[in-house]
Amino acid sequence: MMEDETFTDISGKAISLSCQDHSSLCKEFVVSVPKVSIGKVMVYTCCVWLLAYVVFFFTENTAVLSSAIFITLVGMMLHIHFVKVDHETLLFIGSLGIQLSSSYASGRETTTFIEMGKIKDIVINEAIYMHQIIYYLCVLLKDPSEPNAVARVVPLFQSSKPRLNCLVKVYKSCQEILSKC
Amino acid sequence: MGQRRRAAAVNNSSSQGTSAAPAEAAGIPNRKHNICMVSDFFYPNMGGVESHIYQLSQCLIEKGHKVVIVTHAYGRRKGVRHLTNGLKVYYLPLQVMYNQSTATTCFHSLPLMRCVFVRERITVVHAHSSFSAMGHDALFHAKTMGLTTVFTDHSLFGFADVSSVLTNKLLTVSLCDTNHTVCVSYTSKENTVLRAALNPEIVSVIPNAVDPTDFTPDPSQRQDDRITIVVVSRLVYRKGIDLLGGIIPVLCHKHPDLQFLIGGEGPKRLVLEEVREKYQLHDRVRLLGALEHKDVRNVLVQGHIFLNTSLTEAFCMAILEGASCGLQVVSTRVGGIPEVLPEELITMCEPTVRALCAGLETVIARQRSASVPSPASIHARVQNLYTWRNVAERTEKVYDRAAGEEVLPLDKRLRRLRAHCGPVAGSIFAFIAVLDFLFLLFLQWWAPDQVMDAAVDATGPNGLWKEAGGEIRANSKSAVKRAAEPEMSIL
Repeated sequence: MMEDETFTDISGKAISLSCQDHSSLCKEFVVSVPKVSIGKVMVYTCCVWLLAYVVFFFTENTAVLSSAIFITLVGMMLHIHFVKVDHETLLFIGSLGIQLSSSYASGRETTTFIEMGKIKDIVINEAIYMHQIIYYLCVLLKDPSEPNAVARVVPLFQSSKPRLNCLVKVYKSCQEILSKC
Repeated sequence: MGQRRRAAAVNNSSSQGTSAAPAEAAGIPNRKHNICMVSDFFYPNMGGVESHIYQLSQCLIEKGHKVVIVTHAYGRRKGVRHLTNGLKVYYLPLQVMYNQSTATTCFHSLPLMRCVFVRERITVVHAHSSFSAMGHDALFHAKTMGLTTVFTDHSLFGFADVSSVLTNKLLTVSLCDTNHTVCVSYTSKENTVLRAALNPEIVSVIPNAVDPTDFTPDPSQRQDDRITIVVVSRLVYRKGIDLLGGIIPVLCHKHPDLQFLIGGEGPKRLVLEEVREKYQLHDRVRLLGALEHKDVRNVLVQGHIFLNTSLTEAFCMAILEGASCGLQVVSTRVGGIPEVLPEELITMCEPTVRALCAGLETVIARQRSASVPSPASIHARVQNLYTWRNVAERTEKVYDRAAGEEVLPLDKRLRRLRAHCGPVAGSIFAFIAVLDFLFLLFLQWWAPDQVMDAAVDATGPNGLWKEAGGEIRANSKSAVKRAAEPEMSIL
């Protein structure tokens, strides 16, 4: 079973959440962010090149122009490889644990796994982020020495930053699984 | 009228706010406000303003209003925290400049403050303390955003020196278009009205209160073979510690069974230590150093007489605490002190060593002849004089009145500023108000209101806060109840 829904992120851009029920104890949530728009790439490229042209106009040094091309290319590559995330996946398997993976625009993927024994709870929390105050979903990890304390907080969907209604949906499904284990 | 109101309020709280019918039937406006208290001073910092904000907020929550508190970050304590009964506190990461007061540029705090006001659906912004730059900032932004504003002044101020002239000018600017101002005593009202050139009709007096359950008498702690005079205050010039230094040797010389117990810390500690050395009074003058709030009562109950030597005071909480512990109170007649306690519970003297000594002598004589009322009877009288519930009730009326008034639109606000604050300062601040408005328009374009998630109410009419283990009211909101758990806020 699979369902797709559209939500917005904290800055108002559309994102989509797809939930996949593999079984009653195994669910997968994928938050997808729209791909890099060609317009945005054009705007950034034009800005760098215009700036370079202004500098070239005064210095009359062609190295400026070639370095501008170089900067745009490298910047773009770094951006899609390290910054731009296309999908963020949360795979929750009751009795086993949580797998978090994010796939970057370049195709690179990073994955972390948190085993069930370490998970204390999943909650929605509030934080001050840049100039605003946002809700975010996070996993609380147990402190091995103290059973009631929280050792660490792992925020989920860090790059897509969905809004509260989306978080609540994911939260409820996760709590369903947690209550069954 | 007050009695009727109180009865209705009790009625309403007994039905747990599930229906507002009883209060409305009595023809009483029962409007619920979303209140945002703003001040630089809040816990973990300790002091009168801090406890005032906390206690007032708790009582307003009890009355069914929604209350959030905004303050600046204290060390590692930043982000969003929840206190007892779902009182939400925002510790915003703003730079502290001087004396726990934030730096003000009039603009940099707007994005975060706007975010708080919008997501909490705030209707009334209530700033505290004229020393708090953050409070003035919040008032400024709230007026730009068209919210009702209330300000509480907690201190008296002079008129003569350069710093007070400047502060008074800023206060004039800040208060000239604020909807309502609250002072803690009539003396403080007079002072504020003069300093800020206000219309006295928009200034109310609501005194402070003490929690009588915190300050109960315990005569068994007293030493019955001696008479103990207790002083609890910060050891600074304003509190008249130099007078205390003059009183101690005179009285100790006359009465061999007299001892002093002095709690508090400050630069004037040196004066007292000097006196102690000079007259060899080590066994009779004990300096306890800084006291934590919970220890104050344990010190107070050891004494027979409470002495307050303040030179200026808007509303003296200390004498109220002393009286609540059943002590005989001797105080200087300054500021708002004569308003605080009824004549028979306090002995007031002029702020000179001779007058204070004479006052103390009469009280000591009365104490020796055992013609003083018992501590329990003093406590019983003070107990009902000043309660936080009463303060909250009166503050609620101020909110009701302020909410009914018009918030000045920009053009009228500019005219008011220029008419009220002089041609130079008025024009400067009118210009800043325009810039603030433009900045707000920019922010509304950049991060529109509808993109911000409304915060889930912990308190107020739709409050979801329940004691641990309680059943959650609405199932669909259960997620967010958990979010309201006091977890740490990171990022």
